[in-house]
Amino acid sequence: MEAVLRCINLSKYFGTLPALRQIDFQIKAGEVVGLTGRSGSGKTALVNILSGIEQPSEGDLYIAGQRMHWPFSARRHNISVINQQPILAERLDITTNIFLGNEIGWPSNASWLRIPNRRRMDQQATEVLAQLGAHFSDLRQQANNLSSEERQLVSIARALLHPAKLIIIDEPTQQLSYTYQQRLLTLIRLWQQQGAAILFSSNNLDHLFAVCDRIVVLRQGRSVADMQVDAVGREEVVAALVGTKDREQITPIMWALESYYRAREQTEQLGQRQEMLEQNLVAHDSLTNQLIEQLAIQISALDSANLALQNAQRRLLTEREQERKSLARELHDQVIQDMLGVNYQLEEIEAEVDQQNVAENLADVRHSIRGLVEDLRRICGNLRPPTIDSLGLGPALLSYSRDWSARSGIQVELNLDSQLARLPEALELSIFRIVQEGLNNVRKHAHASKVRIELRHNSPRSLMISIADNGRGMPNDFDLASLANKGHYGLLGISERVALLEGRLHVQNLSSGGLLIQVELPHPRVNIDSEPTSQQQA
Amino acid sequence: MQKATSSQPIRHSLRPFQWLQPHWGKLVQRQELILIVLLLICTLALGLGTDTFLSSSNLLNIGVYASWFGIAALGAGLVIMVGGIDLSVASVMALAGLVCALALQVGVSLIAAIGLGLLCGACVGLLNGVLVSQFGLPPFIVTLGSMGLARGITLALTSGAPVRDLPPQFRALGQGEFNLAGIGLAFPICWMLLIACVVSFILHQTVLGRYIYTVGTDERALKIVGVPTGYVKLITYCLSGILAAFGGILMTAKLGVAAPTAAIAYELDIIAAAVIGGASLFGGEGSVSGIILGTILMMIARNGLVLLGLPTYLQWLTIGAMILVVILLDFWRRRQV
Repeated sequence: MEAVLRCINLSKYFGTLPALRQIDFQIKAGEVVGLTGRSGSGKTALVNILSGIEQPSEGDLYIAGQRMHWPFSARRHNISVINQQPILAERLDITTNIFLGNEIGWPSNASWLRIPNRRRMDQQATEVLAQLGAHFSDLRQQANNLSSEERQLVSIARALLHPAKLIIIDEPTQQLSYTYQQRLLTLIRLWQQQGAAILFSSNNLDHLFAVCDRIVVLRQGRSVADMQVDAVGREEVVAALVGTKDREQITPIMWALESYYRAREQTEQLGQRQEMLEQNLVAHDSLTNQLIEQLAIQISALDSANLALQNAQRRLLTEREQERKSLARELHDQVIQDMLGVNYQLEEIEAEVDQQNVAENLADVRHSIRGLVEDLRRICGNLRPPTIDSLGLGPALLSYSRDWSARSGIQVELNLDSQLARLPEALELSIFRIVQEGLNNVRKHAHASKVRIELRHNSPRSLMISIADNGRGMPNDFDLASLANKGHYGLLGISERVALLEGRLHVQNLSSGGLLIQVELPHPRVNIDSEPTSQQQA
Repeated sequence: MQKATSSQPIRHSLRPFQWLQPHWGKLVQRQELILIVLLLICTLALGLGTDTFLSSSNLLNIGVYASWFGIAALGAGLVIMVGGIDLSVASVMALAGLVCALALQVGVSLIAAIGLGLLCGACVGLLNGVLVSQFGLPPFIVTLGSMGLARGITLALTSGAPVRDLPPQFRALGQGEFNLAGIGLAFPICWMLLIACVVSFILHQTVLGRYIYTVGTDERALKIVGVPTGYVKLITYCLSGILAAFGGILMTAKLGVAAPTAAIAYELDIIAAAVIGGASLFGGEGSVSGIILGTILMMIARNGLVLLGLPTYLQWLTIGAMILVVILLDFWRRRQV
């Protein structure tokens, strides 16, 4: 079979300095020949001579049996060249660079007066780039805006678009990432199967051993070895590269070469993983943002629901108070009066009755009725303090605390702000209920002998209610939810009322023993003078 | 949010040209914008400064003179785009006009005479192209030589005597008018517009145009894909010669006389018009519309300075300063972009 490329004694001198000396080798169709050598060994000079760019000082070159004269156009002799540094027209876009010199257009026989068909060229360029696994967002990007890897991909796409009988590849992997390096190796095998002769210049032994049939080794401008890949190992290639067979010298170089390329591959893989990680992080960020947004929406919905609940509870409390008020009035004005009327009637009957035992029975009944009336009055007082509407919060608290103290036997000390003016009805009732609930708690759970209640203005717009006892206090780990679970709703009721009034509740055990409940409630502005508080003892 | 939306209309009203902002870069990028502004300023200044500048006959004269200048400047601009320079354009104009006139005098048909004139231009262009592209000689030196050569031949052909009594059909080529909707458009202007369209088509629509631009900036990239860049240069020099020759023939037809000393020192004006029109002396840049506008600007300046009655040395000084200012503006614009 005739060789596609045949070099005979090719030499190149720069002045008196020899870059290449008597290079002889040939490449047949369907053969991949690797070209390797250390830096300065003359690889690039040889590639430039074979590409028609540089003229050799001596020697001949035959392409498909035709003797070449320099400078010659590689493309016109059906040679594709992929350079180490891709040479692109910087101001032209990707598609135009891929098709440069081979534009598709109309009329097809008009040569340079052809009008390029952009759409067809774009379509074919996309297809060719897809074969490489490369995707460009915009094929109209100018070459000077591309990264070195993208430029190399354009250069490879150009070679891929125009199948050549000889393909010269000069260290292209330097610019390519690991993935594209593997794709290029696959392409080389494909070109080989299609019958192209390939000269693959590289220092990567893995790549050379992966695709080459033969390896030509250059050292100091001379071709020092032309080896069949199947017949030699890496050690022989490295020995030819460094010019010694001493294993002590070869082994570190082999190790260094392999380590370098392994490190590069690993760096590439790490880079890819990092990229994936960054993408994942971005995705996670996006997910987190979505979750935060959802959460914000739900919080907003919960706020709205909470607000609605508070309004409902406020209405409920108001209605309950109204019901209590009307019930208390009903009991007082109707039932108690009726019972008192019955009592008077019984008294009259008692006066008219002669029998001693009947009179005694009637007196017992009247006594019971009086007891019932007292009970009913107390119930009325609990339902609606009788004095709160007429005399205000202070007297109502005073009356209630005296009554409570008398009933419970616990001493109550009530300190009221001397400037305690009339407050809105709902607020006065709420404060009364808070004190009422607080005292109930003391009676039920505190085992206290003394309670101190204090109402004073913190500011012209807030009132502080303190209820302190000398009992056993609360367990240290208490919370309102657990108290509610145990069926104790007193403090919970206070806290709900405080929340509805937009106040603050503070509950703490006193160091001297006992419990302190402090409630701060805002209220409409009142005038406060710095007079001492009035103190009542129940 | 409400605030932002309510303030938007106010912002619009304060910045009425905001819609132009996305396109501003592209506009500033074009040399034509600067030229149009300069043309407007010159026209306004000369219109106010002289009584005759805005007269129809003067404007027609400017247009006619600009036509052969413009045609030659298009050729010179093409050479500048491939990174060369053609100093022989003015000599080719004179040679082509004289050869055409001599041919007509000896009884050659009009078409053949024009063909001969164009052939002269093509030959000088070919000579320039071969020496520059095939022998790698510097274009400045080559075209300086061919300028002298063409002028020498022109003088030798008639021993310096002008050729008169040209046939009326030939003179009609430069003196006739094309009636467009009642407006008489001088033939040379029509020719210039037609040629500008053809050159613009070649430059922007064909593969050759792409190569001409690319040779000026990335010759190696073209070479590596097998495009014979030497031929691209050769073609542009030939086109420059042919266009200069056609400009010379039109000039001769308009003036009715073929003088061997015609178009002396025109080369500087022609090259300046191309450079003012945006053709970069470093290659790879330029446009047909820019070159035509540059030519008109040069003609207006020359005409206006004469009408203002300035002495010749002041005219040269002003034209020189104008060229420097436009090139500096172009330099500034490129740096901005």
